[in-house]
Amino acid sequence: MKTRALYLTAAALTAAALAVPLWGFAMSAPQYPDETLHLQIARTGIGGDVHEVETLQQYIGVRFPTDLPELKWATRGIATLVALLLLAAFTPSTPFGRAYRVLCAAAVFLLLFASAVAMQQRLYRVGHERDRNAPIRAVHDFTPPLVGPVKVGNFTVWSFPHLGAVMLLTAFGLSVLGLRGTRDFIQRSDGRLSDLVRKGAA
Amino acid sequence: MKRHPFILVLVTVAATVAVVQTFGCGAARSARSIAAEKVYVPPGELDKYVAFLSGGQSGSVFVVGIPSGRLIREIPIFEPRAAYGYAVHETDPRRKLLEDTGGLWGDTHHPMLSEKNGVFDGRYLWINDLANARLARVRLDYFEADRIIKIPNLQGAHGIAVVSPDTKYIVVNGEFEQPTDGLVTNPAPYTSVVAYVDPESMEVKFEVRVNGNIDIADTSKDGRYSFSTVYNLEQGKDMGSMIQYDRDAVAAIDIPMAETLAAAGKGTVRNGVPILDPAEHAGLLTLIPVPKNPHGVNVTPDGKYAIAAGKLSPTVTIIDAHTLKIVAEPEVGLGPLHTTFDDRGNAFTSLFLDSQVVKWNIAKAVGGASDYIVDRINVHYNIGHLQAVGGDTVHPMGDYLLALNKLSKDQYVPVGPDMPENQELIDISGEKMKMLASFPTPPEPHDATFIAASVLKPIVKQVYTPTDDAVQAGRESVVRTGPHSVAVNMTLIRSAYTPDSFEVREGDTVTLKVTNVETIRDMIHGFALPDHNLNIALPPGYTKTITFDAGKPGVYWYYCTNFCSALHLEMRGRMVVQPKDATVTLTDWHAAENVKGQVVAGVPSTGDKQ
Repeated sequence: MKTRALYLTAAALTAAALAVPLWGFAMSAPQYPDETLHLQIARTGIGGDVHEVETLQQYIGVRFPTDLPELKWATRGIATLVALLLLAAFTPSTPFGRAYRVLCAAAVFLLLFASAVAMQQRLYRVGHERDRNAPIRAVHDFTPPLVGPVKVGNFTVWSFPHLGAVMLLTAFGLSVLGLRGTRDFIQRSDGRLSDLVRKGAA
Repeated sequence: MKRHPFILVLVTVAATVAVVQTFGCGAARSARSIAAEKVYVPPGELDKYVAFLSGGQSGSVFVVGIPSGRLIREIPIFEPRAAYGYAVHETDPRRKLLEDTGGLWGDTHHPMLSEKNGVFDGRYLWINDLANARLARVRLDYFEADRIIKIPNLQGAHGIAVVSPDTKYIVVNGEFEQPTDGLVTNPAPYTSVVAYVDPESMEVKFEVRVNGNIDIADTSKDGRYSFSTVYNLEQGKDMGSMIQYDRDAVAAIDIPMAETLAAAGKGTVRNGVPILDPAEHAGLLTLIPVPKNPHGVNVTPDGKYAIAAGKLSPTVTIIDAHTLKIVAEPEVGLGPLHTTFDDRGNAFTSLFLDSQVVKWNIAKAVGGASDYIVDRINVHYNIGHLQAVGGDTVHPMGDYLLALNKLSKDQYVPVGPDMPENQELIDISGEKMKMLASFPTPPEPHDATFIAASVLKPIVKQVYTPTDDAVQAGRESVVRTGPHSVAVNMTLIRSAYTPDSFEVREGDTVTLKVTNVETIRDMIHGFALPDHNLNIALPPGYTKTITFDAGKPGVYWYYCTNFCSALHLEMRGRMVVQPKDATVTLTDWHAAENVKGQVVAGVPSTGDKQ
């Protein structure tokens, strides 16, 4: 039951991640005292101080990414994970079930990793695929890190995981936690996969 | 050896001088440092209070940070201010209102804040225009004058007061007496009125007739009475005949009674306002005799006393605010004009002739004690009004007092014959008053009031919510609406006007509706049009419509007058005025269609074809 609760929680967190911002950006500059500009990336797109950021970026030729196919893929991936995790909740602790859970944890990890790669790529493009005729030429190309600050002109832009990402990471943690005992199980079977499969079949 | 005593004396004197120089100056420096520290607000830090100073003949309100004395802004009210795009163009409705109610200037005297439970709530500020009998209301969420009214049946709107404790009315005193029925042929003595204005609707609800010149106002803390000093009971027309009587009066008007009488239709309606005559209604007006030609009247924070300042008499008259009896008339100094209060039972009276603030203890003065004078401090020079923080409320703060002086003489670098006005901030937190600092202003503050910055903070808004008729980005247009009229719907955002050009024809009337579509605070854009007497200043989210004549044929560059961004200088556009007989087809312009390179069909815009 405990394992089931873990996976149900993981599934619930993953589903909830679709309803909240996934990643956040905080932009501060001397001209914005006590009013740091914020952007949040959610399943539905970019929210926050979009109007102001769009107004500002024209000066340095940054193109505000309005079309983000990555988000569609991420949404599909997350929805799939929800299904996988739900299934894992009701999988018996048979060798097959355990193997499925290992795969499930791997799938969560894979999605997180792929999302991180896709986002870093997008961040690179935002900072490099700029309008070369922008009014202010002094700002060099830049790449915001996934987590951490980058200096863009007079702005310091901080990237950080938002609530959704924290939920997904927690879900990943729970899915790994769900594997506890699996190692013992493998050791008990002398680590032989054939045993594992045989016992599972029995 | 004979010279030794002489040398000894010389050395002693030199040593004494050195010690006095060193430690004396050190002490002086120390006192200065203490004073400086009390008014020093480092860059980036905010003042504790906001002071509203009437602008006098500037027709505006000056907003000053306290204790720093920094001029934060000016609120234009009765006079156009191009810098704020306020009432500049001749078709501006506010300008027309000003013209229709008396003129394009004002003489503002008394800023009064709205009260709730006897303390300032930060909603409104009212200010009078003495010259043209007007009353303006300033909304403190946007710091803008939202209503300006002309007070009927009254000339010289001088003293005003908010009826405590919850701002039931604004009291406006008519200083310049008028023929009783408004007819100059009437031989009857002139008279004047006190007007009572509803704070929300800004309607004059009723007026009460008072003979004489009605000067400064305050109200009892329970809202029962309004108190007005009245001079010239002689009803003289020249100075000599105005100072004949030994006593003039404080007029106490029973507000609830006046309300009841007005509601019962007992007044004579003139210019839509019922005027109540105290001669017909005993108890409506009580005249309390005070030394002749008094000036200020101020009610103590505890509501016990109304204190009238003697001006020509060196006394203040302490009146019981409930029984209306005089309880004491202590001497305070030469030329007492106004009184304010701390939170420890002390009154502070300005002495115009002595150029002093005198601090005196109210209870001791009422009790007949001889040591009621606590302290005196010199100011520079000829003090008029004075205000302590919260002195008008039931909870004075007892920390700072502002002396509003009429002359600055040697206080600032001479800059021609017209020296700046001088305000001095005094620390009243201790037994002895301490002069802290002075700051100059343009001419010429009369009175001031304060509000805590913490009260204002949740109230003040810096971005307007766009109205339903605001021009939306992407929906800008230029449309010919008639043979000689063009409507331009424009948006502004860093760093462009949309549209950035439009054509009209000589003889056209242009109706320009312009919206600042910025959403960030302090991002104000201007729209200045050369040779058209036109400058608009638009805060974020604000929409303004202005109608103007296209003018002579030519190219006119409209440009942003409020610095906005790195491309501020590039923020401009063209109004092309074609000659009247131009055969060129004028291009109507619409944002969406313009992108597609199409021309909107509208009223034909070619002169020949119309």
